Amino acid sequence: MERFQRQIILQGIGISGQQKLKASRVLVVGAGGLGCAVLPYLAAAGIGKIGIVDGDKIEESNLHRQILYSTEQVGLYKTSEAAQDLVKKNPGLEVLVFEEFLTAKNAAEIFSDFDLIIDATDNLFIRYVIDDTCIACGKPFVYGSIHQFQGQVSVFNFEGGPTYRDIFPEDNKSAPNCAEAGVLGTTVGLIGMLQANEAMKIILGIGEVLSGKLLIYNLLNNTQQVFEFGNVPKPKKPHISESFEIISPEEALLGDSILLDVRELGELPEVSLETVLHIPLSTLEKEFSSLDKSAEIRIFCQSGIRSRKAADLLARKGFEKLKLIRGGAKDLLNADRSRKTEKTSF
Amino acid sequence: MITVNYFGNIAEAVQSDSETLAQKSMSLTDLLALLDSKYAIGHFPFQVAINRKIVSKNQAVTISEADEVALLPPFAGG
Repeated sequence: MERFQRQIILQGIGISGQQKLKASRVLVVGAGGLGCAVLPYLAAAGIGKIGIVDGDKIEESNLHRQILYSTEQVGLYKTSEAAQDLVKKNPGLEVLVFEEFLTAKNAAEIFSDFDLIIDATDNLFIRYVIDDTCIACGKPFVYGSIHQFQGQVSVFNFEGGPTYRDIFPEDNKSAPNCAEAGVLGTTVGLIGMLQANEAMKIILGIGEVLSGKLLIYNLLNNTQQVFEFGNVPKPKKPHISESFEIISPEEALLGDSILLDVRELGELPEVSLETVLHIPLSTLEKEFSSLDKSAEIRIFCQSGIRSRKAADLLARKGFEKLKLIRGGAKDLLNADRSRKTEKTSF
Repeated sequence: MITVNYFGNIAEAVQSDSETLAQKSMSLTDLLALLDSKYAIGHFPFQVAINRKIVSKNQAVTISEADEVALLPPFAGG
């Protein structure tokens, strides 16, 4: 706790904010200039789980801006070298390393383990893959990119807000990357840090997220301009399932609210905690009246899909205090086990 | 006067971050055609913002004096 004391005392963070950071799972695509700024700040702040995707090895021409790496690491893979450094910054951090480039084929599987994606790539094509995958699996992503001494930052696909394609539809015209256009370390450093800052705001639920807005920062004259997406719908409260609050399995076990298991009878693993009530999704329509509308209900299933459907159904029946438990029955059991064996630690 | 701000590789092509045009009023379509004839901006992907609001390039809109137009290309470095 002492590690995070200076941020915990901030208004809007507190112990509960620190728990949100600990429960969050962030994927950083690209461990280059932007990634080297994003990663250490997220790790040091107490994010619970960080994934790093990059198939590149460290080159000497990276060192002036990719400040996680040093001379003796030239020739080694960026992901594993970065991971070692991050765990030193916060031993409580779980790092998942993907020593490969993101592709349209592997993106969905890699993204499935994370709640928030950070685009720290230098490639327009991959950005569309990130955008498409985030749209398909309903995850927000924090965009950052630079051109010489200028940087752009935005948040896409956040709570029904616009996507990258909404502002930059794909076309065949290309934009130059750092190898072609040149880059100063402080430029990627600042833009990466702004991305990390947006990520923390999203996780903590504080401030104004750059959704529906494009920030352009000119580092040569220190001007910042924010452009609003006027021609696409404003971030709106999403239609159905996304409007439910998602809580971690650890949070779900706090207090004595009902944990509603909507899996069919006989599905394993069995979750036989005292607060669990088992009503399969297939019979929920008939049996919902046994539930108390005034009480908070925390719903889970095997993977998180049926729990959303169940929440939709209950919301239509007038239930208001519904929360979804992230992951599934297995995660809930794991959380229960570690709650019993460990004291809370960050 | 109409102010036009350039970013990214378009600013490079124009060799300036900003310029003011003497025109008092013109349609967005005419403005983009004028800039294309001067700087070949048609080669770049970009979005247009008027007074910091992004609008469709094809929108029938008149730019008036004191309006600020920005050409926003996607960046790709990182």
